[in-house]
Amino acid sequence: MKRIRAALARLQTVLGGHRPDNDLREELEAHLEMETAEYIRRGMAPEAARRKALLASGGLTTAVEAVRDQRGLPWLESLATDIRYAVRALRRSPAFTSIVVLTLALGIGANTAIFSVVRGVLLKPLPHRDGDRLLYFRQSMDGPGGSSITFSVPEVRDFRNGVPALSGIAEYSPFSFTLQGDEDAVRINTGLVTGNYFEVMGLAPIIGRVTTSGDDGTGVPPVMVLTHEFWTRKFGSDSGIVGQQVRLDGSSVTVIGVLQPAPFFPDRVDALLNMVISSHHTSAQMIEGRAHRMTEVVARLAPGATLKQAVAEVQATYSRMQNEHTDVYNAASHYRVAVLPFQEALGEGAHMTLWLLMAAAAFVMIISAANVANLTMMRGVRREHELVVRAALGAGVARLRRLLLAENLLLTLAGSTLGLGIAFGGVRLLVLFAERYSTRAGEIGIDRTVLGFTFGIALLLALILSYVASLPREGTFAAWMAAGVRRISGSLRKQRVQRSLVVAQIAVSVVLLAAAGLLTRTMIQLADVSTGLRDEEVLTMQIPMLELKSVFDPAWQSATRARYEQMRNEISALPGVVEVGIGSTMPLRSTDMHFDMKTEGKALAVGQTAPRPELRTANPEYFRAAGIPLLSGREFATTDIVGAGRVVILNKLLAEKLFGDEDPLGRRVALTGDVLQFTPFSGEWRTIVGVVGNTQDGGLDAQPRLAAFMPFAQEPPFFGGMVIRADSNVAKLSAAATRIVRRIAPTAPIEDVLTVAQIKDQSVAPRRLNAALISAFSILAVIIAAIGIAGVLAFSVSTRTNEIGIRMSLGADRGEVQRMILREGGVLLVAGLLLGVVGAYFAARVIQGLLFGVAPHDPITLAGVAGIMTVVGLGACWIPALRASRIDPAVTLRK
Amino acid sequence: MSEDKLEVKQGTLALMILRTLEVLGPLHGYGVARRIEETSRNRIALNYGTLYPALVKLEQEGSIEAEWRQSENNRRAKYYSLTDSGRQELARETREWNQTADLIAAFLAPRPEPS
Repeated sequence: MKRIRAALARLQTVLGGHRPDNDLREELEAHLEMETAEYIRRGMAPEAARRKALLASGGLTTAVEAVRDQRGLPWLESLATDIRYAVRALRRSPAFTSIVVLTLALGIGANTAIFSVVRGVLLKPLPHRDGDRLLYFRQSMDGPGGSSITFSVPEVRDFRNGVPALSGIAEYSPFSFTLQGDEDAVRINTGLVTGNYFEVMGLAPIIGRVTTSGDDGTGVPPVMVLTHEFWTRKFGSDSGIVGQQVRLDGSSVTVIGVLQPAPFFPDRVDALLNMVISSHHTSAQMIEGRAHRMTEVVARLAPGATLKQAVAEVQATYSRMQNEHTDVYNAASHYRVAVLPFQEALGEGAHMTLWLLMAAAAFVMIISAANVANLTMMRGVRREHELVVRAALGAGVARLRRLLLAENLLLTLAGSTLGLGIAFGGVRLLVLFAERYSTRAGEIGIDRTVLGFTFGIALLLALILSYVASLPREGTFAAWMAAGVRRISGSLRKQRVQRSLVVAQIAVSVVLLAAAGLLTRTMIQLADVSTGLRDEEVLTMQIPMLELKSVFDPAWQSATRARYEQMRNEISALPGVVEVGIGSTMPLRSTDMHFDMKTEGKALAVGQTAPRPELRTANPEYFRAAGIPLLSGREFATTDIVGAGRVVILNKLLAEKLFGDEDPLGRRVALTGDVLQFTPFSGEWRTIVGVVGNTQDGGLDAQPRLAAFMPFAQEPPFFGGMVIRADSNVAKLSAAATRIVRRIAPTAPIEDVLTVAQIKDQSVAPRRLNAALISAFSILAVIIAAIGIAGVLAFSVSTRTNEIGIRMSLGADRGEVQRMILREGGVLLVAGLLLGVVGAYFAARVIQGLLFGVAPHDPITLAGVAGIMTVVGLGACWIPALRASRIDPAVTLRK
Repeated sequence: MSEDKLEVKQGTLALMILRTLEVLGPLHGYGVARRIEETSRNRIALNYGTLYPALVKLEQEGSIEAEWRQSENNRRAKYYSLTDSGRQELARETREWNQTADLIAAFLAPRPEPS
């Protein structure tokens, strides 16, 4: 109580700005007079009495100071003074101030921006209730498309019964629908989920309700929960949508609620539905077919259970399953299951890239901090005289340190404020960048934690910078003053610190340059990759008209084919169009439509797995329109229709895989596998009539994929799109072609209207951004390092002015002086380069996964990087060397 | 120092000031200093830098209050007087001090001869 009252009184004094010093002086004066009067009364002379009283007082000023300290909050008041001093001092050296603030702003800005992405995508706790207890299951096997094959309902059922460490396991089956509006139609990505999904995921609705076990099974109405993002984007956050009916693939579905914002995995999702909408999902085939894998699995750890327990139980259950069903789990395919925290799964795609960027940003920060430290030290040396004078006037070492701290705090705070401005601009760009890697990109932003991070850096830097400046020990000032010292440094130790910082700067710049070089070389290599298409003046558009209910209906099939045919005819008539093809999947795009394939008269060897080519359809003109070369046999003909003999065209890779050196033409293959029975595709034998070249369907950096083409007119039109070849400038056809499609199929979505050039571009865009960002960081680093070299050498020259003057007067010519300074810089440069190349060697191995067509220790890149750094470094040495050679000995020696 | 004067500890000085004001009533800084020096038989010398901060502190804590008045020889001086809470504070501190003193005295008492 007593303390609080005292504290309040003190604070009031500070804030009130009320300075009762006059009052106090009068009081002390009164005291002095009374005491003097007392001494006089005792018989002393007035003069002597006054002196004695003064002596006993211990000094009026000291007393005033002591009372002032007691009355207010001395540290706060002196802080204000310190800051005032600091502002004044910084204003006196605007060049120093602006270089430091700018350097810091760049470093801090880069770090803040990247950190906000790392936090949003990787670190931030999930919005799900107890998100750290959410798990994601992944089943994989060897072979293409085997990295995540999802689960079947019987598999999920076994896990439900066999893993007590989990409180719930939910199914989530990705499914896309066409959402028909009044005027348009859009494809939406949804998940068909079990009723316990939301409970397991720990997600709550913000409006309406979510599904429960009451929505499971058949005989219930189809209902839909919108994700927050889709609700905002499509329905403009209109809460009136809840309770309304919408049309999905021709079925009527009730919207029952809107979900809280949350990221999904593996894909972005627009809505979640109960299973009843897809009769397939409630069929016996789906529920009993162990090989019928269409389901993603999420689970929640039971209270008290650990991840380790859950993993052990899952693995035990899985081995049991494999032993009981050897027909489903072909041992040669190495079926395996992984259980990972949901948050980890979400960050998987972004992990490597983001930490790489964070490391690059941190490197830039280190370099700019080193630079600022160097600048501060040099300035510190120039200020030593000032500090000595301040000390002589009564400032203690602690006070001087505080003064430095105030200055450095001002610098770093100004730097981080400016840096935040840079970061705010950068974050918007980075969100677009991160969307390619993670569904959590929407959570990126500069929040309180990011701000804390930024100002934490500022504070830490200020502390470090204030303590690298070595202040003399208490009590030694006076000696220097007495000796008439103006400068007390130039000490070797300090220069050694500066030099090591420069070496570190060069080394780090080399590492960054090397990474940028390797990523850029990757881009160059990718640009040279052949797509497999002959000539790329091609426009593609995907027009899915699939309706789930009708896909087995022959009448719907022929009507839909006729509509695609009509589009083809009308687009063909557009001026400039050379050829128009129809196909299920566009060239350079992949599809997840995979089937096992068997060959007539050839049994699989023991332990060998059937190839799983992508299934695509094409009309007779497709290959010519796309520019896919026909290697042997024929293209499809207009006679390859329903009822005629089934035919198939293989890509080169698949033909080689199935037949090796034998001629595949005339041989027969068929689709096979447990999944086939659930699809509208026939397992009949098909005669191979042609072989076409491989195309880069998985992206320019991917291995070619196995592909089998079937006649568009012979198979259900499960998907469809147009491949349009023009004689020139195909992009300008897109508006006219889109109009035609829109007229013929008013309710069909039109997606991915892209030229081949754009598709290529998209496939390398993430890498290009990587390369661009790292290059930007490395250029920044090199610039800052160059400033560092030049600064340290210039300082060295200025401390050696005298020495150089003497050398010159003793006969050294300008060239010699220049060489001397260059040699001094060269030593630093060589040391930095050596360290940097070693560092680059290790850094390159870390980023090996991001490289394409270039070895991590690519000698050309490393040599180029060393060359660039040498040129820049020598350039930076040249300026101080030149200045040194212009020193006039006559002037210098006279000083 | 040649006269072997004692250093005053902050806590004890506050107690001395409060007691002085209780005994003598409202008093100026000089009066308080004289009284403390006399009571200590000049073993304590108070300089201003010690006395006045202590007064300010007691004032901030609400134990004493100050007002300007005419002194006995017609001079303006700042008079300090004990407040109610100061009186309580003094009582409490006196009690504590006595207890401590007893305790220390008991500890420092000559050891009885072993019998």
